[in-house]
Amino acid sequence: MFNWLQGEQYLDTGWIGIAVTLMVVTFILVNIRRANKNADSLFIRRISGLNAIDDAIGRATEMGRPVLMVPGIGVLDAISVQAINIFAQVTKTAAQFATPVRICCANAPVFAVAQEVIRDVYTQQGVGDKFTPETVQFISDQQFAFAAGVSGIIHREKVAATFLLGAFYAESLIFAETSNAIGAIQVAGSTQSTQTPFFIAACDYVLIGDEFYAASAYLTRQPVLVGSLVGQDWAKIVIAGMVIFGTLFGSYEMTGMTTEHRTDNQGVSSMTPVEAGPDGTVTPERVKKSDTMVNRFFNPYTPEELVTIEREKKPAEPEAETGGGGE
Amino acid sequence: MNNTIFLLAQNTENFWRKLPGQGLVIWVVIGLLLGIALLFAFTQVPSNLRRWIIVGFTFLAGLPYVLAYLWPKPIGADLQNDVPRNLSEQIGFTINQAIDPVGKITNVLQAFLLGVGIFSLVRVHITKVRRKSENWGFSTVLLVCFALMTTVGFMDWRQRKFMDDNGLLNEPSNWGFFQYANDLMFEGMYQQMDSAMFSMIAFFILSAAYRAFRIRSVEATVMMASALILMLNLMGALTYAWGTGIESLVVQTGNPFFMNFKLNVMADWLRSTMQIPAIRAIDFGVFLGALAMGLRLWLGLEKGGVSS
Repeated sequence: MFNWLQGEQYLDTGWIGIAVTLMVVTFILVNIRRANKNADSLFIRRISGLNAIDDAIGRATEMGRPVLMVPGIGVLDAISVQAINIFAQVTKTAAQFATPVRICCANAPVFAVAQEVIRDVYTQQGVGDKFTPETVQFISDQQFAFAAGVSGIIHREKVAATFLLGAFYAESLIFAETSNAIGAIQVAGSTQSTQTPFFIAACDYVLIGDEFYAASAYLTRQPVLVGSLVGQDWAKIVIAGMVIFGTLFGSYEMTGMTTEHRTDNQGVSSMTPVEAGPDGTVTPERVKKSDTMVNRFFNPYTPEELVTIEREKKPAEPEAETGGGGE
Repeated sequence: MNNTIFLLAQNTENFWRKLPGQGLVIWVVIGLLLGIALLFAFTQVPSNLRRWIIVGFTFLAGLPYVLAYLWPKPIGADLQNDVPRNLSEQIGFTINQAIDPVGKITNVLQAFLLGVGIFSLVRVHITKVRRKSENWGFSTVLLVCFALMTTVGFMDWRQRKFMDDNGLLNEPSNWGFFQYANDLMFEGMYQQMDSAMFSMIAFFILSAAYRAFRIRSVEATVMMASALILMLNLMGALTYAWGTGIESLVVQTGNPFFMNFKLNVMADWLRSTMQIPAIRAIDFGVFLGALAMGLRLWLGLEKGGVSS
């Protein structure tokens, strides 16, 4: 009936992926609206890594050494934008105490954005002259060349505090251990779950998982950010509920019996009846994970006729002549 | 040099792609003039309106990706050569065809920004050398290497691309100065230093692990015990000896429950029951945060920081 609504992106996860996405978007927008009306009613728990920012900058000011910040080695995306947003807040405090700041970038677009944002922060704090080309630097877009460059800056300038926030990979421990070797206070957070253990082992304070995204809401208390954070929490509660319900219901289903099993082969689903015994009787078998309703919910049944579609081809275009242009 | 070689890669002509010829040059000139005019116009816009221009462009740039995610993509369609079967497919074709040009605009912007990054790098180090600041020698090395690598790499690429139709330069015996120089600098020096930097992580892991595993709290003790089980599980001889001991204990007592204390069983349990769910829970939070951040940026809801 709704064949015209069948899309390639729904073959793997069905409509559940889009439904959950739209649910999360709704939660976020609703809570942003709520926060705009009354932001004070929304609570954010204490995040010790972010409370340490003032201590770190204070220490750098006392020692007369710079604060180093690295927004990871990822491209310009939500992660690096969030890192720059946090760095803007850190720079705001550092600029008030005239503490030098070093931001090292491994990606040119991230560098360009960071440069503009940090320059604006200095200007807004009335110390525009303190912003120098060394404040935000492009080091290299090669992973270990960047690691070597940043380690060199950490050693030569004896930075007092380091903020490693963003998408980090194998170079994370090089930065963390080099900073540790010179006794710098370290606040770190990576969206890569594989790097978080390294940061926990080597750094003083670590933002784990979505604490990284909560940071700007925590630091600025802007209603839009706080509302968005509460929306994320609503989504987490619903997803956790779905996980618990799915586990229990799926486990219950697997205690039942069936006479046919679902099989998926190269994206095409089919039902395979249980083979009959020598006397022709079919003995029901235990339900497999692939037969459960929970599994079907996330992996929709895809019959062969849905994925084998014949379309008319466009007529062959004549050879393009010079001087052409436009359709 | 054959300038059309880059353009010949685009073999289908449509609104976004023009084939080489007089018409293409006109379109390129129109595009260039339009770009310069837009750039000039943006500089004249009052600062309070600039934010809305950025918000508008961000929204337009993100729109094809959002629509492509939501609108049903025609199943198994060849977007260039197939004819859509109905209105839904027609819209799906249009949306998915728009993604390629939008992505290319992003690539062009990134290329410009790479120039900005290189300019910053060179400016910082030239200033250091000129002022004879502390450690200016390192800056000199960087600038010399940068100039050499760029020149040699470009000349090697140029010769291979435009002066070697028969692929003779694929054989080292036919190499000239630039091929040898590029090989020495890239394979012989850069790659080796890159590997050296990577291998240093082993020592950093050792020192970080030493500090992390010092038993100072309940959490550190639990981590130490878990790590010990996982590490011991990687030692074949020990796993075998421990497993044999457990099996003989099961035979003696007749209680199969002790099989759960084999090293590989405990390690598998730690990984599949403790580690993976924890990582997935963290990832859920991270993805939700990224979605919220993307939504705020796309709709221009954020103020301050990057969005200011």
